[in-house]
Formats: sequence, C-alpha cells, structure tokens
Amino acid sequence: MDAYFYIILVVGLLSTFLCVGAGILKKAPNDATILSVAAVELSLLVYLVGSIVRVASGERIAGEPWEFWGYLVTALMLPVGAVYWAILERTRWSNFVLAAVGVTALVMAARMNQIWY
Amino acid sequence: MSASQQDTSGSADAAAGQPSGSLAEPAGPAAEDTRNTGPGRLLIAVYAVFALSATARAGYQILTKFSEAPLAYLLSAFAAVVYIVATVSLAKAGRTWFKVSVTAVLVELIGVLVVGALSLFDAVNFPHETVWSLFGRGYGFIPLLLPILGLIWLYRRRPAAKQA
Repeated sequence: MDAYFYIILVVGLLSTFLCVGAGILKKAPNDATILSVAAVELSLLVYLVGSIVRVASGERIAGEPWEFWGYLVTALMLPVGAVYWAILERTRWSNFVLAAVGVTALVMAARMNQIWY
Repeated sequence: MSASQQDTSGSADAAAGQPSGSLAEPAGPAAEDTRNTGPGRLLIAVYAVFALSATARAGYQILTKFSEAPLAYLLSAFAAVVYIVATVSLAKAGRTWFKVSVTAVLVELIGVLVVGALSLFDAVNFPHETVWSLFGRGYGFIPLLLPILGLIWLYRRRPAAKQA
C-alpha cells in the first residue's frame, strides 16, 4: 500500500469516527463534520493528481487502467453527494450519512491500490 | 441557522411540525408520506452507493467477460436495476412510490437469498463473485442486511391506512 492509501486511511477513519460520534451525540452536521468529509475529498484529489503525474511520467498501472480511474472518479463524487444529501436535512442521521464517506473512501482506496500494483 | 439550533435532532423540521430526528410518525392532514427523512436518509444513501457499485460491477462483468458466467452476470445486472429502483423509490414521497419501494426491497431480499444459495451450491454457473454471491459476503453481508432494514423502515413509514 502506498502513501496515498495511508493518507486516505487516516483522514477517512478520522472523518468517520468524528461523524459517527457527532451522530451519536444527536448533533446536526456542523463545520467539523462537513470539513472532515471535505478533507477526505481533498485526500482523494491528491490521489488523483498524483496518479495523473505518475501515469504522465511513464509509470504503468498493473491492472486495468479504466477500472482504476473509474473507482477514483466514483470515489471523488461520494463526498460531494453525501454533503449535498446531508445538508438538505440537518439531523443526526445526516451525520451518519457523512460518516459513511470516510470508510467507503478507504475501502475504495484499498481497491485502487490493488489495481495499481 | 442559529448556533442553538445545531445541537438538536429535531429542529430542522420544527417549522413543519415534524421531528425528523426521532422516529415519530408525521402528524397533520398534510402529512409527509415519505421515507426519506431521519434514518431513511442513511438507508437511501447506502442504497445509492450499492446502486452505483452494483451497476459498475455488473457493467464491467458483462462488457468484459460475459461468456464466463452469463447467468451470474445477468443476475448481477438485475441486482443493479433493483438497487436503482429501490434508491429512487425510497427517496420519493407518496403511496405509489411506497408500493414500488416495498416491491423493490422484497425482490432484493429474495434475490440475495436465492443468488446466495445458488452461488453456494452451483459453482459451475456462479464461478465468480457478484454483489449477491454468497449472501453478499464480498460486501460485508450488507446486501443481506440492507433489505431487512429496508422492510423495517418501510413498515414504520407505511402510509396511513385511514385518512381523516
């Protein structure tokens, strides 16, 4: 597993724990929880840019390239979709929706690493 | 929203008289016949992720290696359609969409049980993993849990049998 995965692992798990905790405490989505999901998005963007640079400088993806990019594009859409869905209704359940982002991004990053190497 | 409103679970819909943070039934003649508030939002979010994931996986399987396991991959595509229908119908209000979502979730439950069993006993036709293979083992058994939670949620939010 490479650095990109570990970044998403840490940021994703922190985000999920934060959002689950906030949900348990019956808080509505606030700056902290939404920003934690934004941080996951940022980590994914870093993964995107890094991957583009690596491919552009000649590195080969061991698995199917379109599978890798497909996962990445999908993963990038999740935080956006979740924040949109959560903001429409500001309840504890929205925080649980946000919580799903971190852990899902982590699983997808693991899969992307598998495809890359 | 003022800061004092941020820490409650019900203030968001206080104006509509509906405590969406709790599981109370909506009140009033203009009652929201919906499944997309409160816990339902998390359910819909998970369904949406599965709809996306199942569609992508089935699409990939059918486009690249359909001949390897045509039955399994067709069922995989069917599962994707069921998830899409479930996601959309849960998010929409009204009696008709309620019926659609009950149908979709029931089909989903039957699907995961049947395909799960087939994948267990018919390795010839089910050589590879699909979303419903082995009762959703490849997805942490969420495909097995999801329709059960879906049915419970639909029961809680079923349209009132009698209107005033």
